[in-house]
Amino acid sequence: MKQEIKLKINGEAYEVYVEPWKSLLEILREDLDFTGVKSGCEEGECGACTVLVDGKAVNSCLMLGPQAQGKEILTIEGLKVEGGLHPLQQAFVDHFAVQCGFCTPGMILSAKALLDKIPHPTEEEVRVALSGNLCRCTGYIKIVEAVLAASNKERSK
Amino acid sequence: MSTTNLGSQTKQPKFDYLEAKTTRETCSFLSQYKDKAKLIAGGTDLLVSMRKKKITPSYLINIKTIPNLDYISYDGESLNIGTLATLSEIENSPLVRDRAPVISNSAHQIGSQQIRNLGTVGGNLCNASPAADMAPSLIALGGKAKLKSLKGERVVSLEEFFIGPGETVLQSDEILTEIQVPNPPPNTQGVYLKLPARTAIDLAVVGVATVVTLDSNRTNIIDVKIVLGAVAPTPIRARGAEGIIRGKFVEENLIEKAAGVAAEEAQPISDIRGSASYRKEIVKVLTNRGLRQALTSALGKI
Repeated sequence: MKQEIKLKINGEAYEVYVEPWKSLLEILREDLDFTGVKSGCEEGECGACTVLVDGKAVNSCLMLGPQAQGKEILTIEGLKVEGGLHPLQQAFVDHFAVQCGFCTPGMILSAKALLDKIPHPTEEEVRVALSGNLCRCTGYIKIVEAVLAASNKERSK
Repeated sequence: MSTTNLGSQTKQPKFDYLEAKTTRETCSFLSQYKDKAKLIAGGTDLLVSMRKKKITPSYLINIKTIPNLDYISYDGESLNIGTLATLSEIENSPLVRDRAPVISNSAHQIGSQQIRNLGTVGGNLCNASPAADMAPSLIALGGKAKLKSLKGERVVSLEEFFIGPGETVLQSDEILTEIQVPNPPPNTQGVYLKLPARTAIDLAVVGVATVVTLDSNRTNIIDVKIVLGAVAPTPIRARGAEGIIRGKFVEENLIEKAAGVAAEEAQPISDIRGSASYRKEIVKVLTNRGLRQALTSALGKI
């Protein structure tokens, strides 16, 4: 029996009417076309499906649609800023932290959740925050550099 | 606006969805549907098992909709943690870090940030994996679980809560509502050491919680608890190892001896994450290391 789910995504209100076994990931991608959210392992192991729910990074593959009722979701699409890229996105570009790009939306959102909580993290804190996001291309070094650079940029302003 | 479903590799299992607003309602549902129903909170273990077809519940009862079950509080005698407290809430709780840091430390070592933001302490315990990371430290601190059914409530020691892999003493209409951790005695320190199969996001190959209590002069070990995870059908107390040290003066070769006995008490299986003999060796290493760290902390803390 379909459930009505009302939620906020990237600042806007949405309403969907879906089977309760659909994951938040499926709803975001299939019903609402937020295809920036990626489907990887569907087991909570790879982090490609990471979105922020009420500011916290979660694997959207492990949330049932009805559990997103009333929540505020941030996907990578929501990081758009006036006239260009979000500082985190820019840092990823500047530091060559993107290769195939598949892990990138999840990586950036995990990084955003970290910086929102700890504006100037240590390298260790960055690595712990990103340890739920796997990357098969980059070897992580550039990604960590990019996140640290984005945090330092805020400091030097 | 659904287009062809190209994304989903795994077939989403279907079920009838129910929402509980109170623990009483939860018990009612459980009473009605019995083993055709499963409770879902964070879903980090449940949904994965369902997608792998290891379990096939006809009904899922969402308990995340129950308000005020995620508290972390202290009443003067025990730390009380609501079953829906997430692992990241426990990891970051100033109250837990202050009163029982071995518990927040255990939570920190589970999964990833994303998993910890969804997963709950109740879920970790009730899923009852032999490797459940919250179990060893909670058992070592004498933790108890409050279980509620339509008939009332009972409190069970966590040491007696687990009866086998995936099996607990929970009756079919019972829900775990709260974890109680009694005040540790003075001069008590503990540590949870886990060897994961990789460096992150993985289950414990071996987990060891060591909690020591020193006397007021800090020369003798009044009490010690060593709890082993992932090396038996349930988390187990290494009572033989404890017996080597309890009541004794703090001494190097006692630690070595206790670690060796703990390894013998472990009953691991060989699986994809490690052989039984490897796991026994790691029990020895982590017990040794854990005792040293806990004792160093207890000796050093003013």
